[in-house]
Amino acid sequence: MVARKACRVLGIGSAFSSSSHREAVRKTGSSSMLIPFSMKNCFQLLYNRQVPAAGFKKTVKNGFIIHSISNDVYQNLAVEDWIHDHMNLEDKPILFFWRNSPSVVIGRHQNPWQECNLNLMREEGIKLARRRSGGGAVYHDMGNINLTFFTTKKKYDRMENLKLIVRALNAIHPQLDVQATKRFDLLLDGQFKISGTASKIGRTTAYHHCTLLCSTDGTFLSSLLKSPYQGIRSNATASIPSLVKNLLEKDPTLTCEVLMNAVATEYAAYHQTDNHIHLINPTDETLFPGINSKAEELQTWEWIYGKTPKFSINTSFNVLYEQSHLNIKVFIDIKNGKIEICNIEAPDHWLPLEILDKLNSSLVGSKFCPTETTMLTNILLRTCPQDHKLHSKWNILCEKIKGIM
Amino acid sequence: MRAVLCSLCAVLAPAAPCLLRAWQLGAGVIRTLCMGLALLSVCKFTEKHECVTTENGVGTVGISNFAQEALGDVVYCSLLEVGTKLNKQDEFGALESVKAASELYSPLSGEVSEINEALAENPGLVSKFCYEDGWLIKMTLSNPSALDEIRS
Repeated sequence: MVARKACRVLGIGSAFSSSSHREAVRKTGSSSMLIPFSMKNCFQLLYNRQVPAAGFKKTVKNGFIIHSISNDVYQNLAVEDWIHDHMNLEDKPILFFWRNSPSVVIGRHQNPWQECNLNLMREEGIKLARRRSGGGAVYHDMGNINLTFFTTKKKYDRMENLKLIVRALNAIHPQLDVQATKRFDLLLDGQFKISGTASKIGRTTAYHHCTLLCSTDGTFLSSLLKSPYQGIRSNATASIPSLVKNLLEKDPTLTCEVLMNAVATEYAAYHQTDNHIHLINPTDETLFPGINSKAEELQTWEWIYGKTPKFSINTSFNVLYEQSHLNIKVFIDIKNGKIEICNIEAPDHWLPLEILDKLNSSLVGSKFCPTETTMLTNILLRTCPQDHKLHSKWNILCEKIKGIM
Repeated sequence: MRAVLCSLCAVLAPAAPCLLRAWQLGAGVIRTLCMGLALLSVCKFTEKHECVTTENGVGTVGISNFAQEALGDVVYCSLLEVGTKLNKQDEFGALESVKAASELYSPLSGEVSEINEALAENPGLVSKFCYEDGWLIKMTLSNPSALDEIRS
């Protein structure tokens, strides 16, 4: 039983690496003498399928259920990319369970400044990820289960997947009122969103993923997904805010474990496949060759921020300086995450026009990012006259500007 | 299929007399040629549902009616920049509709010469490809005769 369970843990432990198997074979000429019978059967099975060498592709038989051992949002998103790009899912659908440490995930064509409180996220160390599927912004923590249904393009059917989840929930709690909406949300008691959906359709494969709120920090979710940034004009796809609820609040027996097992059982029954949940390590290059570079790409500034559709900011803020209020106007155009046009206007009795001009022209071409702006404005400050008052005004202005980034 | 192509032909060249000819080519391609249009202007449907018309070595890519119906309302269109070199079947952008991001695959090899900026403000235009407003990209073809390789 332990050996069988150990076999399920693909990619973990050197016992199943091809090198240790070759070692065993070299010593004895066959694998049967050193390895216990049940382990040997499992091992031969894996070896025949050449799992370590050829990777994950060959292990999938009639359908498979996998669960990531990682809680890193980028690594888990990379698993989706990898399966989508590399696997032939003909008659081999896959269900993938994953959970992430606190992260905000935005859709492919969204604007993070419009969707979430980036300042709060930086303070609290919350990761920001952009996924490759469409849809809106969501907050993930360990109380949220992500489910990805991989199929061929032909078998892509979001409603079918959601009905499966509803059946699974009703199997463990028959009176639970959960319905799928036309927008592919799952609503509890007709009003609380417990799941949101997004999907990606490729050449021959497609995936539909959705969240499932079990025991997420709802207060934190609300504050993170509320953007404080004013004056944004953008064509990016906007989220539709919803009232959410955790399933655990409705029924304390509905833990993440219980929910995952219920969905797995229903999936296995529906696809007539094995209901074991196979653990996978998303950093294992022997199982998923090339996956780590996918995870790296998802973490780049160019992907997360640079893919933001073109947008503009037209806003103003008040500055209190020596008991008088000053109004600063800001017009910024941002393309590919970088400032294309920059017009910061301040009263010229407060800051000389030449200094403002220098600020505006030096920000053009730079990333719309507080770190890069800090660096640029510090360099610029050194070129300004050594005037204490001027420096203090400059710092006040720059802090305000970084506050909108 | 033939009926669809015939009606498409009628839309593209409504005023011109249209001699409809359909024949099987060696690779199993069915091609419709509208005599009213410029000689090299042929609209072909790839199995990926991107549609391309060509004229003088420039391809105009859009999505077929079939693909557009499957997508529904398009809420966002993202396209690669002008100057990007594409090989056949390279991804050149994505369309988003009801939370689904669908990748777009280039039916031909070439270089992106123009992108339809109107789609940024009005992504729903992609459904109007047949009426010439919903084109996605134009590309200078690296091999104009490669059009024959597209299977419908």
